[in-house]
Amino acid sequence: MDIKVLGTGCANCKATIALIDQVAKANGVAVTLGKVEELRDIMGYGVMSTPGVVVDGKVVHAGGVPSRDKVEQWLAVAG
Amino acid sequence: MSGTAGQNVLKVAREICPATTRSLLSEWALLLDVRESHQVEVFAFDVPEILLVPMSELEQRWSEVPRGREAIVVCDVGVRSLKATYYLQYHGYTQVSSIGGGIVKWARKGFPVNGQQPPASVSAAGCCSSASENATASAESCCG
Repeated sequence: MDIKVLGTGCANCKATIALIDQVAKANGVAVTLGKVEELRDIMGYGVMSTPGVVVDGKVVHAGGVPSRDKVEQWLAVAG
Repeated sequence: MSGTAGQNVLKVAREICPATTRSLLSEWALLLDVRESHQVEVFAFDVPEILLVPMSELEQRWSEVPRGREAIVVCDVGVRSLKATYYLQYHGYTQVSSIGGGIVKWARKGFPVNGQQPPASVSAAGCCSSASENATASAESCCG
């Protein structure tokens, strides 16, 4: 499962990465977690509000740190 | 939010200077000001035609930007406008560019404005959301 977090390194972006990593480990889900930090690359997903989250190529979230429930749903769908 | 389409590879945005902007406006280009209305009320471009679409409304209103005519996007200092330029590119606009330095530079060059530049505009890097801080400019930037 490939997950990318879109954002330029703000606190919310870091919190989002940490949360996804934590939930993935807690549920034993193997994920490849990456960051997209360049404005042009972020905007290539059409995301105006960061952090954004892309799961297997699809934008599933934009703006603010996602809830833990939401992250668990993404991982469950793929699991 | 259900999943939406994946990534488009966008071209490096074109950034232009106020002088080039003025020249293009005298031909056929349209100025698109993405500053918020409270900012426009106190300090605005004095040009014959301008489209106001605040950044906070761009996701809902981007289709108001006409296609087939060059859109020159502007904000206070050129950070939000660069982001908006990419957003329009994402939606398929090819004739779009951003004023590097924004209205602050436009006014500094002596081009016409209405109102007074509020002191906060000088440090208007705060005009942007976090996605803009690593903005890269095109080599086409002209006046330094």
